[in-house]
Amino acid sequence: MGRFLNVALGVLTAVGGFVDIGDLVTNAQVGARFGMSLAWATVLGVIGICLFAEMSGRIAAVSGRATFDLVRERLGPTMGLLNLLGSLGVSLLTYVAEIGGVALSVQLICGVSYLLLFPIFGVFVWLVLWRAKFSLIENVFGILGLALMVFVVSAFQLGPDWSHLGHEAITFAKPVQENWSTWCYYAVALFGAAMTPFEVFFFSSGGVEDGWSDKDLPVMRSNVALGFPLGGMLSLSIAACAATVLMPLGVSVDSLDQVGIPVAAALGRVGLAIALLGFVAATFGAACETGLSVGYAVGQYFGWQWGKYVRAAVAARFHIVIALSTLVALGVLATTIDPVTVTEMSVVFSAVALPLTYFPILVVANDPDYMAEHVNGRLMNVLSSLFLVLVVVAAVAAIPLMIWTHLGA
Amino acid sequence: MRNRFDSPYDAVLHLLDRQVLDSDGLMVCKVDDLELVRVGSSWWISALLSGTAALLPRLGGRAGERAMRFWKRMAPEQTDRDVPYRVEITEVADLTSAVNLSRPRQQALVRERRADSRQLRNLLECRVRTEAGEDLGHVLDVRIDHDGHRLVGLVVGRGRPDSLLGYDRHPQQGPAALRLIVRMLHRHSGYATWDQISELDWDRGQLTLTGRLQPLQAAS
Repeated sequence: MGRFLNVALGVLTAVGGFVDIGDLVTNAQVGARFGMSLAWATVLGVIGICLFAEMSGRIAAVSGRATFDLVRERLGPTMGLLNLLGSLGVSLLTYVAEIGGVALSVQLICGVSYLLLFPIFGVFVWLVLWRAKFSLIENVFGILGLALMVFVVSAFQLGPDWSHLGHEAITFAKPVQENWSTWCYYAVALFGAAMTPFEVFFFSSGGVEDGWSDKDLPVMRSNVALGFPLGGMLSLSIAACAATVLMPLGVSVDSLDQVGIPVAAALGRVGLAIALLGFVAATFGAACETGLSVGYAVGQYFGWQWGKYVRAAVAARFHIVIALSTLVALGVLATTIDPVTVTEMSVVFSAVALPLTYFPILVVANDPDYMAEHVNGRLMNVLSSLFLVLVVVAAVAAIPLMIWTHLGA
Repeated sequence: MRNRFDSPYDAVLHLLDRQVLDSDGLMVCKVDDLELVRVGSSWWISALLSGTAALLPRLGGRAGERAMRFWKRMAPEQTDRDVPYRVEITEVADLTSAVNLSRPRQQALVRERRADSRQLRNLLECRVRTEAGEDLGHVLDVRIDHDGHRLVGLVVGRGRPDSLLGYDRHPQQGPAALRLIVRMLHRHSGYATWDQISELDWDRGQLTLTGRLQPLQAAS
């Protein structure tokens, strides 16, 4: 029974933890503008994150080494440092977006401007990262994030023409008024939103925090194989809700409150309240995960003691990095930059930074020195090689597409 | 995981840039460089080097030099600013996915300038030629005999030390497409024993080999 609970808890956490501000905004935007014609990009992103997380989780369980340890060990100090700077930039951008997202979500609840709220919640995130237990961070917000399941309920309540939505998804039916270039740009954004690098830093470092060994492989695999696809389903239902309610009205989503409109239309006030709770939990949880990921990446590159499994005094430099990056994130938000814009940028740069960590993980997952009998199997290698190509294509295409389409305007 | 120090190993692939853990499993540092000393006619690894003074020069070329100058300029009054921290190789209990020390991490790292010692970095920066003057590239890795950590051979080839990614040592390491690409890029890389070195000029970064390169093989 204990084992079953363990699996269930992990799966629930993965579902709730999968959706962050990037998924909320991007999926609603895409649903409202393109219907379900880009559903394939989310599906690909979910398969990709499953492969990536399974490999790095397996390495963490078998060898006790987390993602950035291996980046430095395999690519050397120079490439490792460039890699660190790139990944750190993206993680910080995401951190800004998540803290802004928490403030925006609370603004929707209480009406106080997010500009007054973000310093409070930024400090609150830092306090949680400093004082709270890892299991609390990992589980509580993930499970509260399940409130977003209200989008799945709404999708059914709205009773859309399923065959029409399915047809859009399968035939890549781009709306006639949109360009192919914007369509491709949003495909990359969805891919980046589903496959954010910090999720994998967090997942593999969390494995080390929880002291995984090769006995935990089945539990880890079930978390990945059930949790992330269910999280992806949540993303798709957000898009489906937007496609059903917002698209016919010609509303384009450029703020967080519009993401919740379909839920209000379907389930009224109670539904909206649950959705808002989900927004706060999902963004707060993701803010904690990105904040930790910044500390993990720096600590693992320089070899410092990192992690929540030791007292804060033992991992002093790790906690200094987290405190400083929180300060930087608050500084960025203080410029009154729109957190939704930061979110849009962060998902695209996630796609750019992805190969930097995906590649070394793929190499080490095949290294018998590290993995012994747990090296990648043949099917895993075929799939992960295909995804290496895909990840590189998305990374190369992302910035040109961003410039060409003026951020998908 | 098996202990790499039970059999011959490769310094760059197996030791360099790995995490160092203490006897309680707490993290200490990374292996940023290795200290080499000459005893008799052979070179031996005497210590793991760590810290900014060991890491910055390894960034390589002009960027590395500049970073190091900047680092010294931050505190010109400190005499030992450019001296890396040392951990004696005898304090290493075993080498698995991490370097495990046999002592706790308190006061494990000591800054000490050793006369007549060299760093692995110096060897990796060496240009390798044959006696006929043919350019073979750089030292990509150094094979170490585990008994006393003596340097016994070199992996020589074009590109950077980390560009082999370990694909030369395990013939079946997947994915097949990556293995093919790495192997094709390194088709001129090979192995030379330490005895094949006819001249090693540390200061000019020149290394001359006699005889031919042998095909690459796993250390053990």
